[in-house]
Amino acid sequence: MMQIPCPFCGPRNESEFFYGGPVRPSRPDPAAVNDEDWTAWLTQVPNPLGPVQEHWWHARGCGTWLTIWRDTRTHDVVEAPDDAG
Amino acid sequence: MPYDVTFTRLETQALFDLKGRREAVQEWAGEALPACPDQPNSKTEAGGATLMFIGPDHWLLRADLAREAALEATLRPAEAPPEMSIVRVSDTLAFFRVIGPEASEILAIACPMDLHESRFGPDTASFTEAFGIKALVTRCEGGFEVGVEQSFGPMMLDCLTRASC
Repeated sequence: MMQIPCPFCGPRNESEFFYGGPVRPSRPDPAAVNDEDWTAWLTQVPNPLGPVQEHWWHARGCGTWLTIWRDTRTHDVVEAPDDAG
Repeated sequence: MPYDVTFTRLETQALFDLKGRREAVQEWAGEALPACPDQPNSKTEAGGATLMFIGPDHWLLRADLAREAALEATLRPAEAPPEMSIVRVSDTLAFFRVIGPEASEILAIACPMDLHESRFGPDTASFTEAFGIKALVTRCEGGFEVGVEQSFGPMMLDCLTRASC
């Protein structure tokens, strides 16, 4: 079970959070990119073997949305929000 | 062997949800409220009302139901300035009081948060989860109080009964 550092509450159990998906690159201008890049942005979800940046929602706690870096190999939170307690 | 614990469902409580910056809340409703708590997930009490700091710019005022009308008249939710909101939410939460020498054992089953007195003292109040549902947990004399959405009240009663057997 992961402990996720909430900026407001401090470290809390994973079960208090809802997963919000990986942080995706900014939406490109569809008129300025080729079809391959546009399709990649639409359909490919970041899924690296290693650290991935993710959104989590402290839905059963204070309601804060936060962004962490989680290592997909170990589930360690390798980088917490800047002001996490 | 059953746990040495007693739990009761409390009467509906007067609850007001306040959102806004501390300064705005204090300016609009400071006289009607206990002092705003400084620390996240803490509470202050004054005049029979409890003010809990439950999220960023988010506060919950709790008092006996008999005081609901007076508090609403003082807080004037409909006239609140645009930088804050006040909503009466008394009907939303069902509160349970779990007291007894082994109350912390029951809460340890229900809740993943560390509720040891050194981490979760008498001035603490926090939303977390209890038996898998969102719950407001506070300490009270001899134990804990747990608030869950009204519709989960019967489920919470059932879970407490099963956990204490």
